[in-house]
Amino acid sequence: MATRALLAVVSASPNRCFISPSRITILQSLTSSSSVHFHRHSRKIHRIARSYSSDSDSSALQPPDVSRLAQTARISLTPAEIEECETKIRRVIDWFGQLQQVDVNSVEPAIRAEMDGRNLREDAPETFENRDSIRASIPSFEEAYLKVPKILNKE
Amino acid sequence: MSTTLFRTFQPNQFSLLGTSLLRRRRSNNFSVRSCGSQTTTTHEAKQSSPTRVAPKNHKSNKLDEILRDYEAVIGIETHVQLSTLTKAFCSCSNNYGSYPNISICPVCMGLPGALPVLNSKVVEFGVRLGLALNCDLSLKSKFDRKQYFYPDLPKGYQISQFDIPIASGGYVDLDIPLEFGGGHRRFGITRVHMEEDAGKLLHSDTGDYSQVDLNRAGVPLLEIVSEPDMRSGIEAAEYACEMQRIARYLGVSNGNMQEGSLRCDVNISIRPIGQAEFGTKVEIKNLNAFSAISRAIDFEISRQALLYNQGKADEIVTETRLWEEGAQKTVTMRKKEGLADYRYFPEPDLPEVILTKEYVDSIRASLPELPEAKRRRYEAMGLGMQDVLFLANDVSVAEYFDAVIGKGAEVKLAANWIMSDIAAYLKNEKLSINDIKLTPHELAELIAAIKDGTISGKIGKEVSSLPFNNESSFVWINATFSIFADTV
Repeated sequence: MATRALLAVVSASPNRCFISPSRITILQSLTSSSSVHFHRHSRKIHRIARSYSSDSDSSALQPPDVSRLAQTARISLTPAEIEECETKIRRVIDWFGQLQQVDVNSVEPAIRAEMDGRNLREDAPETFENRDSIRASIPSFEEAYLKVPKILNKE
Repeated sequence: MSTTLFRTFQPNQFSLLGTSLLRRRRSNNFSVRSCGSQTTTTHEAKQSSPTRVAPKNHKSNKLDEILRDYEAVIGIETHVQLSTLTKAFCSCSNNYGSYPNISICPVCMGLPGALPVLNSKVVEFGVRLGLALNCDLSLKSKFDRKQYFYPDLPKGYQISQFDIPIASGGYVDLDIPLEFGGGHRRFGITRVHMEEDAGKLLHSDTGDYSQVDLNRAGVPLLEIVSEPDMRSGIEAAEYACEMQRIARYLGVSNGNMQEGSLRCDVNISIRPIGQAEFGTKVEIKNLNAFSAISRAIDFEISRQALLYNQGKADEIVTETRLWEEGAQKTVTMRKKEGLADYRYFPEPDLPEVILTKEYVDSIRASLPELPEAKRRRYEAMGLGMQDVLFLANDVSVAEYFDAVIGKGAEVKLAANWIMSDIAAYLKNEKLSINDIKLTPHELAELIAAIKDGTISGKIGKEVSSLPFNNESSFVWINATFSIFADTV
């Protein structure tokens, strides 16, 4: 169950095949009905996202569709690179797949590690001091705008 | 002195009603429909009321014919830009119209390492709007990443709420304006959720480049998704109007479609009457006024019905169409190749949004009287629907009216004054009721004085033609009261 969230991370960023240890911190269980709600919806999410794991009881993890992954991440790969990536990703998934063996039937699904407090901010404006260097670091900054290629479609 | 007192028109107490009726109709064309047909109003206002209906008859007859065979199923997605001081996830200023790319920081620019922190006002506004729309609130909701690539989206994803929105399962009650048949309607609200806006993308007319302004990136939005309960362009336009009204009543947004602080996308399909399944859904974007919503829907109903009648129903495809205001028609923007894959997953950088019962209750207690409650209260006071809709349309006008009757003025007289004389004055001077210097208390006194005959209706009318913001007018009024107090 926990793997599902991690796999979503992997699916979103195949170029970062190795996730830093802090990200793998075990997700504490949060008892809340909203999590159960998420559980019901997560299957829908993953059907949409075409992710790998099907149901929590199934142990077989499907191989990644790397060319589609690369397309959605807007990364161009040569066929050789696709094959190479496929093997690497597969290995990482299988390594995480060990978690599938854990019995989590009695554990509430969790989305993140517990954060202290609600971490909300006051609605008080603050100007970022170094906006000049932000603008200076933009390669195509012209006449107060970021100049970009003309793209009309979002797909 | 008497010559300066009396201006050109001299209505007496009896013709007062006549002139005020005439005036009221004109000013109603302006005010009640101020969220209605903005572009058609000036045209209509020049014609007198009866003939105003005529030009529309021809077109609406055709539509009526279509609607005998087909039913339109319409839903609306509304994006409300919140009037918070800062953006949703960083402390950059949230103001419209600044010089480009000055309200920026690493968070809203999506620079590496920057982390979002939720603005507490956004949650508050979300709860207010959810309650106002009679929704169930999710005491625990979360943010998700909606991932896609576009030049105005710095992070490559939009922080939104996917499966657990802050509010869901509500409804809105409204009244259709009398000129469109009147009547109450209730439309369902599927959900309300919090999200952030993208930047602004300006396409150059020449050349192959575009320009991005990220001042707007990260500005908080509330997205309201309606149930597909609307059945006509009028109903849809009035729904959108009510969304604006509620947003303004609550003070969560200024709701200006022109500024982009209120944006509506329409989803419409038609089906032969009696058919249970929905037809193919078409999305319409680029609607910049409530009248455009109504006209775009009418056009789309006609377009789709024509295809059905020609046996070409399968030419209606799931797509996004743009409304072209100039040509008064919808055109294909792009055909959707299947649904977009946004690869939603929970935003790991933000904690859950947790609402306590006390928090919700305190917000509920602080809600102002909402448009629907006002309308029902005004109706119960004996005002006609025309008056009710006018007075409740603008929260400032309603407040003014409430203050006047609060000072003891008679309800119908106060309504008449505000709807005819004051409305006409405001329209001429292009002012809002907040600018007027005639206080509710003074108006109440004026009304009382006319009513008990202290000053005759004639003088009262004279007073009404004075500039309401001119200080010397009030010296005059006070003088008048004292002079004519003894005259019966």
